[in-house]
Amino acid sequence: MQPRLRTTAIWLGLVVAFLLLFQLTRREAPIATLPFETFVEYLDQEAISEVRVEGNALDVELHGGAHFRVLGVLAAAQLEKLSALGVIVNEGPAPKGLAGVIPWLLGAVLALAALLFFVRKAGAGQAGVLALRRSRHRVVSAPTGVRFADVGGCDEAKLQLADVVDFLANPERWQAAGVRIPRGVLLEGPPGCGKTLLARALAGETKARFLSISASEFVEMFVGVGAARVRDLFEAAAKQAPAVVFIDELDAIGRRRGSGVGFANDEREHTLNQLLVNLDGFERHARVVVIAATNRADILDTALLRAGRFDRRIVIPPLARADRLRVLEIHARGKPLAADVSLAALAALCDGATGADLEGLVNEAGLLAVRRARADGAGTLEIRHEDFVQALHPAAGGFALRFDQVDALLIESTTRLTQPTGRALVRLTLVEGAVVEGELIWADAVFVKLRSENGAGARIVPKLQIKSIEPLAGTDWAHAELQPNGLR
Amino acid sequence: MLDPGGDWLAGRLLTWIPLLLSLAVHEWAHAFCAFQLGDDTAARLGRMTLNPLAHIDPIGTVALPLLGVPFGWAKPVPVNPVRFRREVRMGAGMALAAAAGPLSNFAVALLAVALLAAGAALAPGLVLDGSPLHGLLTTLALINAALGVFNLIPIPPLDGSRIADVFVPERLRPAWHGLEAYAPLALAALLVGPAFLGVSLFAWALGPVQQLLRAVAP
Repeated sequence: MQPRLRTTAIWLGLVVAFLLLFQLTRREAPIATLPFETFVEYLDQEAISEVRVEGNALDVELHGGAHFRVLGVLAAAQLEKLSALGVIVNEGPAPKGLAGVIPWLLGAVLALAALLFFVRKAGAGQAGVLALRRSRHRVVSAPTGVRFADVGGCDEAKLQLADVVDFLANPERWQAAGVRIPRGVLLEGPPGCGKTLLARALAGETKARFLSISASEFVEMFVGVGAARVRDLFEAAAKQAPAVVFIDELDAIGRRRGSGVGFANDEREHTLNQLLVNLDGFERHARVVVIAATNRADILDTALLRAGRFDRRIVIPPLARADRLRVLEIHARGKPLAADVSLAALAALCDGATGADLEGLVNEAGLLAVRRARADGAGTLEIRHEDFVQALHPAAGGFALRFDQVDALLIESTTRLTQPTGRALVRLTLVEGAVVEGELIWADAVFVKLRSENGAGARIVPKLQIKSIEPLAGTDWAHAELQPNGLR
Repeated sequence: MLDPGGDWLAGRLLTWIPLLLSLAVHEWAHAFCAFQLGDDTAARLGRMTLNPLAHIDPIGTVALPLLGVPFGWAKPVPVNPVRFRREVRMGAGMALAAAAGPLSNFAVALLAVALLAAGAALAPGLVLDGSPLHGLLTTLALINAALGVFNLIPIPPLDGSRIADVFVPERLRPAWHGLEAYAPLALAALLVGPAFLGVSLFAWALGPVQQLLRAVAP
């Protein structure tokens, strides 16, 4: 129906409903008692349609539907006139008829409508509660596009996970040996070290179903929902076996029980208890392996870590130099590197960087290269060494500063000298034998910047190239013990 | 004729139906005015319609009035002054869009009185006190007059406060907006207070309207 037409119909319907209702309930309204002369007047105007005689009162209805009562008795002449006009004259109390029933009927209909409304609403609520109890896991069925080859380093973790892949593919081989493959594998390591990436690679390697969920998705406002979701998740996994269940950020529900401040978090503990039961409740042939990742393994409940649950803990160590090189190579794949970029040198510079740091570094360098190329209007786009250098700078999103002796020198020269000069004049001896002198004006994790005294401008030197550093005459060093002799 | 008595439910329906129609007009007027000023927010939400169903608030429009609470509200029409046409000042436009609601109610009330007068002049029997048409027109007139007056009270979130916003000097704006926090209290006091004192603001405000109605159609 046209909206305009619908509106008109609703208006008409409501107006008609009002008029009808008014007409029907009108009789029960306390009727105005008017003087008898009014009746005579209306009689003269021939405006009367109906008269009901009730004792010594007259109920008078006019043609327009108006209704009133007069006290008095009809004279014979008036009765004659009424019948001459064709006015209906009745006697006795008015029949209740339809008018008496309608309001009741209306009430019943309305009550029924309200009941239906609430029942339906309650029904919807029920469905909503049931939906809450469903696990929110995602089934990764399409290839993730990540394989173990795409993960640099983490060799031990890859080895362990490859066992899992093989177990799910050829269980007979493992069962023949009578061994029990770990049912739970806990990946732990600092943020960005590649836990989730490993899981995705596992999903890419295995032919088993891969169910992925974040532990925080078990958590809901309502008590009992978390445990219900855990049950649902494991039921789904068992139905689709062989399957891998990956629970990210396990510490969201795996926190040690009874450790809340003041009071325990009951709901989280229910969820954890359910998880513990489900981890241990599998029959051996269920062919479901649970992988979990966390960066707070120290706060996990000890029951989670016992044998038979997450008994295989894979700590992902910081990347060694060779690993960093492989990670850099993986991320540099398909990127236009300039000839002056040495990934090996970069890998050496990025001591302590995680996989995510390195990915960020390469990406940032790429972004900078695009920006530089756009500014230059250069036709060919390539990522140069200078882009990586800039990307390493903390202000540009590189990784954190580490305090070292260069920083100590800078602080010393500005605050702690007997007569602070505010300047740190130093002589740097570089690895290849060159000597640089100047004022130390800036330093970060990787580079120091010197402004030379003879006006030759500033120079940036990688810290790794510095063999030794000594303060120059003219700077009054208060603390002789701060004689720096080389950097870490 | 607000309450012809009889069955309580029928009686409430007899005030509720005109109320529903009046609220529809009120909300439509806000939306229409905002649309004319360039803001199509309400129109795109389907609120620029006289269809009462679009403006119903389950609690304020249905439950409370039918339970006999002499207070209610409809779903508010959103107005976004940022979308006004460039030549419309935002404050003035806001006030105009706010004023459109009560003004539309006064218009409906006047229309009902005019129809009543016309009916009394042309077909006296049709609009006699106690006839359905008379009931409809008087109820419409009274309800709309009440809605108009009530909404012009300058207490947030009533329309009157949005109109008053424009007239508050820049200097007093912070104080004015600070007072807004107490608005619900003030509104409650206004609704409940007179009842305690034994006076009815509405009886006072609607007295003239009732006199007018009586004068038009005896």
